[in-house]
Amino acid sequence: MRNRKFMVLSGPNLNLLGTRKTSIYGQGSLQDIHEGLKRRAQELDVSVECRQYNNEGSLIDSLQEAPGEFDGVIINAGALAHYSYSLRSAIGATLLPCIEVFISNIHAREEFRHQSVIAPVCVGVIAGFGKKSYLLALEALVNLTNA
Amino acid sequence: MPKRVVVIHGPNLNMLGKREVGIYGGKSMEDINLEVAAEAARLNVSLEFFQSNSEGELVTRIQQCKGKADGILLNAGAYTHYSVALRDAISASEVPTVEVHISNIYKRERFRHTSFIAPVCIGQICGLGSHGYVIALRALMEERLDPWLV
Repeated sequence: MRNRKFMVLSGPNLNLLGTRKTSIYGQGSLQDIHEGLKRRAQELDVSVECRQYNNEGSLIDSLQEAPGEFDGVIINAGALAHYSYSLRSAIGATLLPCIEVFISNIHAREEFRHQSVIAPVCVGVIAGFGKKSYLLALEALVNLTNA
Repeated sequence: MPKRVVVIHGPNLNMLGKREVGIYGGKSMEDINLEVAAEAARLNVSLEFFQSNSEGELVTRIQQCKGKADGILLNAGAYTHYSVALRDAISASEVPTVEVHISNIYKRERFRHTSFIAPVCIGQICGLGSHGYVIALRALMEERLDPWLV
């Protein structure tokens, strides 16, 4: 079997991790998360490609590129999770297993964050474990795609 | 001393593997407990298991965790979606609790999209089948997973 490859997508404002609202989102940058993911991927004998966009259209472009090249997707859509129907359609169209992650526990926050419009087209959701959410999603995707 | 985690299963989870296997999979609750136990052994965590169909018994078991457990893995089944009493018990216990669901509750009926307990849990994992419990245990216990500590 060829080496599995997963796309890790982060949405708007995640480039600011470590510099804003650190009481909610914690210390450390998105770069640190990406490095942690790459290390863990190596241990698990898979690879990851990590991308971040503030732009909704660029996230959709990435998702459209994913089939054929990637075996699954980890997505933290940031605030877009709560209203982007186009992202939802793009995830559905990939036909790839996708795991939604959130750094914070969205259910403990404002009411408008309680609903994710992309969760129904994802395999599952991991929310509330800080940056660990991403690493746990990688473990889950590897487990899901084990033949 | 190993960390102590209590795995609590709510109503109808004793029927796993015997009901609606299309939604919940073919594994029994005992199968899942064995998987979590294997991960716990690897992480040097001591586990206790509890299942009840009764809301009051679940409340009592969660209350008993106060000061005695380092974490709770809770699949409250359908009580998730309406039990204020369970929510209060989790808050009162002051034990870090992870909410687990076998199925992706957001793919299902609208009444399952709301969790009364999520706001008092540290996080939620859903849709990952039995592996969700393993992931939840790691979320609670494996500090090494944090990239800053690797």
